[in-house]
Amino acid sequence: MADMFPSGPPDSAATRTPSTALFDGAPCPPETFCEAFDASGKPRPHWEPLIAAFDARGVAGLTRSQERVRRMRHEDGATYNLFDDATGRGVPWALDMIPLPLTAAEWAGVEAGLTQRAFLLDRLLTDVYGPQQLLKEGVIPPEIVFANPRFLPPCHGIKPAGGRFLAFYAADLIRGPDGRFRVLRDYAATPAGIGYALENRIVISRVFSELYHRTQIRRLAPFFHAFHDSLVQRAFRRRVEPGIVMLSPGPECRIYFEHALLSRYLGYPLVEGQDLTVRNGKVLLKKLAGLEPVEVILRLLDDDLSDPLVLRLKTESGVAGLIQAAREQQVDLVNPIGSGFVDTPVLPVFLPELCRRLLKADLLLESHPAWWGGSAEGRAHLLNHAEELSIAPALDDAALPVDPAHLPAAIASAPHGFMARAPLHPAVVPAWDSAGVRPRFSLLRLFACATDQGYAVMPGGLAVTAPDAATLAGGVPEQQMSKDIWVLSDRPVDPFSLMAGLRSSAELSRGNDLPSRVADHLLWLGRYLERAESLVRLLRSVLRRLSGEARPGDIPELSYLLNLLRAEGILPAAPEAGSDIPRFQELSAQLNTALYRQERPESVAAVLKQVQEAARKVRDRLSLDSWRVINRLSGLADTPAADPLEYLNETLFTLSAFSGLAMESMTRGLGWRFMDMGRRLERAINHARLIRIGLSRICDESGGALEALLEVADSIMTYRARYRTAFQLAPALDLLLVDESNPKSLAFQCSQIAAHVEHLPRLSNRRFAEPEERKALEMLTAVRLLDPAAMSRAEAGPPHAALEAFLESMEANLKDFARQISAHYLSRVPATPHFSGMPVDRRP
Amino acid sequence: MKYRITHRTAYRYSEPASLSQNELFMLPRQTATQRVEESRLTISPEPQYLRRRTDYFGNIVQVFMVQQPHTELSVTAESRVETSPSEHPPLSATPAWEEAARRLRSHALPAELEATQFVFASPMIRLSAATRDYAAASFPAGMPILAGAVDLLRRIHTDFAYDTAATTIDTPVEQVMASRRGVCQDFAHLAISCLRGVGLAARYVSGYLKTLPPPDVPALVGADASHAWVSLFVPEIGWVDLDPTNNLLPSETHITLAWGRDYGDVTPAKGVVMGGGVHTLAVAVEVAESQD
Repeated sequence: MADMFPSGPPDSAATRTPSTALFDGAPCPPETFCEAFDASGKPRPHWEPLIAAFDARGVAGLTRSQERVRRMRHEDGATYNLFDDATGRGVPWALDMIPLPLTAAEWAGVEAGLTQRAFLLDRLLTDVYGPQQLLKEGVIPPEIVFANPRFLPPCHGIKPAGGRFLAFYAADLIRGPDGRFRVLRDYAATPAGIGYALENRIVISRVFSELYHRTQIRRLAPFFHAFHDSLVQRAFRRRVEPGIVMLSPGPECRIYFEHALLSRYLGYPLVEGQDLTVRNGKVLLKKLAGLEPVEVILRLLDDDLSDPLVLRLKTESGVAGLIQAAREQQVDLVNPIGSGFVDTPVLPVFLPELCRRLLKADLLLESHPAWWGGSAEGRAHLLNHAEELSIAPALDDAALPVDPAHLPAAIASAPHGFMARAPLHPAVVPAWDSAGVRPRFSLLRLFACATDQGYAVMPGGLAVTAPDAATLAGGVPEQQMSKDIWVLSDRPVDPFSLMAGLRSSAELSRGNDLPSRVADHLLWLGRYLERAESLVRLLRSVLRRLSGEARPGDIPELSYLLNLLRAEGILPAAPEAGSDIPRFQELSAQLNTALYRQERPESVAAVLKQVQEAARKVRDRLSLDSWRVINRLSGLADTPAADPLEYLNETLFTLSAFSGLAMESMTRGLGWRFMDMGRRLERAINHARLIRIGLSRICDESGGALEALLEVADSIMTYRARYRTAFQLAPALDLLLVDESNPKSLAFQCSQIAAHVEHLPRLSNRRFAEPEERKALEMLTAVRLLDPAAMSRAEAGPPHAALEAFLESMEANLKDFARQISAHYLSRVPATPHFSGMPVDRRP
Repeated sequence: MKYRITHRTAYRYSEPASLSQNELFMLPRQTATQRVEESRLTISPEPQYLRRRTDYFGNIVQVFMVQQPHTELSVTAESRVETSPSEHPPLSATPAWEEAARRLRSHALPAELEATQFVFASPMIRLSAATRDYAAASFPAGMPILAGAVDLLRRIHTDFAYDTAATTIDTPVEQVMASRRGVCQDFAHLAISCLRGVGLAARYVSGYLKTLPPPDVPALVGADASHAWVSLFVPEIGWVDLDPTNNLLPSETHITLAWGRDYGDVTPAKGVVMGGGVHTLAVAVEVAESQD
């Protein structure tokens, strides 16, 4: 069986004469539609301004522009799951800066065709999940429903609360050699790519802002407004301020970037299955202050993962009871569970007849020619032309048999499971690669949403390109690139801006409450940030001393610092006998491990990874700027500076930048409180430990240990400014422990924690009713009443035992407090499935 | 015959469960040979939410949610049912199996179209070359469909060992085929895979079986269990029940709860619990013949 696609990249058999310098490298192969040039090789009129603008920039200018595009996309984190692969460099749908312009006339045809198709598919879903009249009349064969894993019997009979089965729709279009667009696939389950299209537009309109604003390009913002309005209208029937959420599989999902971007842009909280619960048939969002009703869910979760109660008991990503809530029309799902029926690969074969039957019209936008193995004619065509056709599964996206020799037997045993598609001859577009303009094959992913009147098609979308047609259709985004689609207008366009997002502030609309899961992640983000900072400081103080001229043995405080690192498990335990300072080579090897070895949980690399992971989980809560800094952090880890001290300085700088940005750009709501509380908790625990370990050395004022402690506790500047004296124990301990004006002191952390606790939502109005409130007060009082100097003086028995005991009890109290907060606000109860047990019997 | 059926499912949790959501297929449906005189459900603690509806396959399904903390949950379904004997056509008088498969493919009659939903693979029952080959021996060319099916039952009963330890609730048919052991659910799935493999329509039936103790042993209360068997579509005649576990054509002794494509469509009780720690489960079924 031959490959369905013309093999290889377009060769040099140019069918045109070169007309511009830059685009000379992009001739179109024969038998394809050439987007940019006509048959004589002249640029099509709507490409002329674009080509002129690109030519004007020249190769050097464009190389810089593409680098800007790449950097903006990277900083926005516009990738598939950044943390999925070892390299962390998966950048699928990498953006190619040359847009794909379409004329107003071309677009009018596409728009009308997609609108009709959306109407048609909505009617089809209404019938399939309702009366099934089409099945009874033989318009759709029973296999298409009964043998189709995308038809979900438990969802039959549900009428969508919003009145429509298809509220959000996407389609892949290919332009054939005849210049006409045809639909290759339809998507309704979880149409992907709209966020990437939005991101592409934002980036390209910035990089080519002059060209963008000079050209009459239809804006995307009005479409998103229409989308938002339709969601609000659906919910409006129930409540003035509707609860709209986006349900995502979470950061593990490959296109989580898109989910986070859309959430930020549309202003809907991004939630995961565990954030939602169903009570009394209604869907509720679990927030810190309690449960909040949800009326509309923009569902980005696959059909079969959406409700573990009914569909697949062993999944954790969905919401148990969601189907029941939908059945009672208590929640509007966009799209309803089961709408993935639209994604059935072979469905386009039946659309012409369905269109005549349901809409009394011919299909405006044809489908790519395909044949179904389940019908006699289709099977005959498939078998007779197997050489030139491409065979694919008809009902699901399962892989074909690995061994092509097994295919005929598989087709013979279940012909309805197979289909054949005509070879693809996609249109060719000029695309930028590192050296210049090259031809690539193209496919358009376009989007539509339901509105009051019908459907709105997004004037733009994602153009996907690939060096050969197989890669294009194969859906391997790592090898594909994307383009912004510019729909040109004959009239001046409204200067709608995308940048602001739909609502002035997403935070505002979220009110002062947030999902418990998010609060949990923010608390841990705060803790990991602090952990990373303090670890970096500690290592830096060691490396700084080693980088001088003195031999390690001659640096008195070095053994104190190394002991701190050993007590924290960052360095291996000291050699049994003799000096506790190892030889230089051995020490630098150990430090190297502590810096870079990711598999060691205490290493800088590992802790930074935890920071990134935690940040990723709350990505939709972080400002774009702070997210960009996080992405720099990953770049830092991948290409560490040659000098470890420089690496630590850079890391500390980046961490501080992130903390500053994240804290500054967050409203002083609960999210900020939890993140700051995490930071205070970690700092307090860490501080108490640092001081406690090697307390006797610190008290020996001569050894330089006290100075080192002040340094790692980031209080040395304050000490010098305040005391201008040699390092003395009493003022140093006062500064580190009880001085509430020192933001690094234990007392300061405790007073901040107490202030945060006071602002957390709670049921009772009585103060100090909750254990965490009492614990916070207890800690603050204890540290305020502490008199370290008196404690040391009055001591009988081993020196500093009382202070040591105090610090130990502080540490225990802080950990208790963390547990109490978690139990009260953050506890995530695991859900477990249960069965009645297997039917069993006894043989008579 | 008249029966009184009590099916009690009790869950115990080591820690309080905050929310329990459940879906039940525990109330029997009416059929041509089964009249349901009375059926009711008792749930403790009383659920705040309880809904009853008829599902896609015509079964009675109940959804309930207990929304306050609880450490025990019990569900008791009680029914009074009267069954009448099914009349099986003479085996040799049924159409050839190829004819039955052809009728399903052309599905000219509404009943045949409806039956086609049980012809294909379903979420828990894949169709494989192994089960198709196994079925082939019972369906030589021209074999009357019911005679072939009865032969298949006999072979499954002979070739497969009844073993409650060999499989779990989601053991795939391929594994049962390979290990040749299982319980009624496995044998029903296996028979369905065989029958669908040769192009016939077969559905999974969940229900109860009145078991008779040996003559001098008193019947134990609660010692009965839920049972599962198969129903085969025979053109012109309709659905005929087949019990591969017991190698017989069910009649008055089988009480039908619900049917679907496979066990997953009609699991008697399933649910999702928030919290609860360690779960323990006790199921007791009593099928008593009643005189009134």
